[in-house]
Amino acid sequence: MKKLADLVIKLGNVDRRWIFIIIAIVVMYPLFKPLGLPIRPTESSQEVYAAIEALPEGSKVLLSCEYGPSTKPEIHPMAVGVLRHLFENGHQVYVTCLWPDGQFMAREALEQVAENEYNRTYGEDYVLLGFRPGNEAVIKGIVSDIRKMYTIDSRGIPIDDIPMMNGVKNILDLDFIFSASAGYPGTVEWVQLAADPTGIPMSTGVTSIQVNEVMPYVDAGQIKGILAGMPGAAEYEALLGKTGIATSGMDAQSIAHIVIVLFIIFGNIAFYLERQRSKKTF
Amino acid sequence: MFSAEIVGAWIAVFLTLAIFSYLYRDNPFYKIAEHIFVGVSAGYWASMFFWTQIQPNLFGRLWPVLHEEQTLGILGKAWYGIYNFLHLLYRPAFPEGGVATGHGMQLTYIIPLILGIMMLLSVFSKFSWFARWGIAYVVGMAAGLRSYGFLNSNVIGQIKGSVIPLTGDISTGTIINGIILLIGTITGLMYFYFSKEHKGWFGKIGRIGIYFLMISFGASFGFAVMGRISLLIGRFTDLKAFGGADYHHASIWLLVIMVVLLGIWSFFNKEEKTT
Repeated sequence: MKKLADLVIKLGNVDRRWIFIIIAIVVMYPLFKPLGLPIRPTESSQEVYAAIEALPEGSKVLLSCEYGPSTKPEIHPMAVGVLRHLFENGHQVYVTCLWPDGQFMAREALEQVAENEYNRTYGEDYVLLGFRPGNEAVIKGIVSDIRKMYTIDSRGIPIDDIPMMNGVKNILDLDFIFSASAGYPGTVEWVQLAADPTGIPMSTGVTSIQVNEVMPYVDAGQIKGILAGMPGAAEYEALLGKTGIATSGMDAQSIAHIVIVLFIIFGNIAFYLERQRSKKTF
Repeated sequence: MFSAEIVGAWIAVFLTLAIFSYLYRDNPFYKIAEHIFVGVSAGYWASMFFWTQIQPNLFGRLWPVLHEEQTLGILGKAWYGIYNFLHLLYRPAFPEGGVATGHGMQLTYIIPLILGIMMLLSVFSKFSWFARWGIAYVVGMAAGLRSYGFLNSNVIGQIKGSVIPLTGDISTGTIINGIILLIGTITGLMYFYFSKEHKGWFGKIGRIGIYFLMISFGASFGFAVMGRISLLIGRFTDLKAFGGADYHHASIWLLVIMVVLLGIWSFFNKEEKTT
């Protein structure tokens, strides 16, 4: 028993770099050899899906991209999934960006879904209005008069020359908001300045780290569902029946979580044994 | 053979591995990646803000392109004289005839221009007090802009959300959830009430609030771990893709080269090694 305790304490003090290597191996392995673990959509993901599904055909939907390359693995699959769902149901999509990087992410997602998969027409089925600096002021601008904020779109086309902008003066002319957000400014600002004051329904997809911050708005009914991090994106892909990059990453995510939980348990046991031993020494 | 995409992939792989190398120890590869990141970020943001905000929205409103039928008075000519001078200094930002972004002339935008210049004066210690005006405007504007939204969504909206419906078509689970949420909200708020000493029944309620807070912190930690692993998966997915023949096995080659170079570097820098 003493030998086992010695071993646990010794392993508990192992160089942290061994832990990094183990995590790297367990994350990498399922990427090369997928395990095909099941994905069960949670209630909050189903709520997002139901909210978009309930929109009548031809609805005008604002998709705001507030993420960049650093959070792409979590948010980009959501943006792609939501775009697929919107085009599948024949909606018009207005894309705005509160983050400068968001414009490049949105362009990539639109190129993949709108152009390559659904062959939609720019200016009639979707428009990339692009990035404007100003954080909350941009949202306020979209809420009051979209043309004060955007005179041209991301391609330099005057707003009044874009067919799908006819009759769109402000956010009240749109039917739904989806914020693909990785932080500030993002979901919280859209709730506070757009969705709550105007009553336009809204859903969101956020990074894992933001879930606790945004969840109270979901519970209070201010946001219709939430896609929580990469699992949320994978669940949405499962609901759509179209697997993508989020689904392929979920095996690695699940295995890594198991290993981290085991490390936490093991670390606590080692800490407990070490403390017991030091108490006996004194 | 080496297209821009392939070169980009090699750079991405190098920078990813260079950042990962910090997990071993601080080293020159990490420092290179760190400095590149800081420099590129600063340059990218400055350029992005100038070309998407200052040039079209500020200069575009102060000196818009004039229509052919528009004639200028003496003051107008003097105003566009300033623009012509700027045009001589930097033509890409001040194209001939005015900035064509679809805006009309709005001279009230002189105020943000002046406030912006005042903010920039903070780099000179003698004139740094000018910056306070700009900062005061930004703080006041942000506070005003956010106060309504915050009160409406975070206070009133959240109070509404914590109201438990006990009648109607509601499941027992929803009612139990609502009661737990209400207890958590009240006890959590009580914990942060410091005008009464946390003793007796009041202390016990506060203690329940602590448990709810601990659960919340635990959930936050769990989500943080999940987020970091997701980002790691994203980088590994890219490294896997860039390790293929299409990219001339960039990940494999660079990994081998960097490991060898790090090994040599570590051999000659043993004294800096951390445990």
